[in-house]
Amino acid sequence: MDNDKQPGFFKRTWTALNRPSAKYSLLALLFVGFVSGIIFWGAFNTGMEATNKLEFCIGCHEMRDTVYQEYKETIHYSNRTGVRAICSDCHVPKDWTHKMIRKIQASQEVWGKITGYVDTPEKFEAKRMELATKEWARMKAAGSRECLNCHNFDAMSPELQKQTPYKKHMKAKAEGKTCIDCHKGIAHHLPKEYEEPDEE
Amino acid sequence: MKSIPRSLLAAAAAGAVVLAFAPSAFAVDADAAKQLAKQNNCFKCHAIEKDKDGPAYHKVAEKYKGKADAEAKLIHHITSGEKAKFPDGHEEEHKIVKTSPPHDEAQIKNLVQWILSQ
Repeated sequence: MDNDKQPGFFKRTWTALNRPSAKYSLLALLFVGFVSGIIFWGAFNTGMEATNKLEFCIGCHEMRDTVYQEYKETIHYSNRTGVRAICSDCHVPKDWTHKMIRKIQASQEVWGKITGYVDTPEKFEAKRMELATKEWARMKAAGSRECLNCHNFDAMSPELQKQTPYKKHMKAKAEGKTCIDCHKGIAHHLPKEYEEPDEE
Repeated sequence: MKSIPRSLLAAAAAGAVVLAFAPSAFAVDADAAKQLAKQNNCFKCHAIEKDKDGPAYHKVAEKYKGKADAEAKLIHHITSGEKAKFPDGHEEEHKIVKTSPPHDEAQIKNLVQWILSQ
């Protein structure tokens, strides 16, 4: 008869988990849960931060041989004051929610690595415009949020900044523009296909 | 001592004259020059045909047409940070053009020759 049949694995597991403990006090269970939560959360965030390190980003030759070499020649890598912005400072949001969203999106890049999407400099060059366009769109949609972690229109001094860039910055601020509207290709080469507006 | 034949001397002199007055044989790589200009944000202040904060490249080429020191002057202008005059009269240091790899004189020369060819 059907009633004699043993419940399945999932049902037995669920029943065991759902049964009140006859051995441990609620306080002991809460304490174990609390400590486990701290350990899990700490490990999770430590792992997340590890993927934000420069060494992680250039762990694959796709980044190390191309954009990393270009970035090393720019002011964001080496400058008078010794302040350096690494990959994640510009490409990964700082706040937790946006960071998680970006990290989930970045899982596509793991697939790209497995399938060899840009595994040669030639392939990377052929895809540079597509990749750059996507990142510019992300930055634009976020209002240049990552740039603004260090830069700010209001912190620009008319005495210390050259007159022409200062005027352009104030005009851009008045027009509601953000950094990425004008500053593209500042840490990596611009794609060959990119046309500066008003070039002719 | 055996003297050098007159015909050989004449040929050498003619060759020197040709070399002295021949136009520059430098072949401009326009794509590379434009790419370098883009990388350095030159087009933020210059355009090819029209004046912006900086003069049109066409106008720069006109100004230096036929001048022997054109190339040297322009190279100095874009690599030394010398003062540039703006339309409102104020002066500011001109941006120093950077190349990849750094300090590649051939790339700078190519850019200058491209500007002079506009």
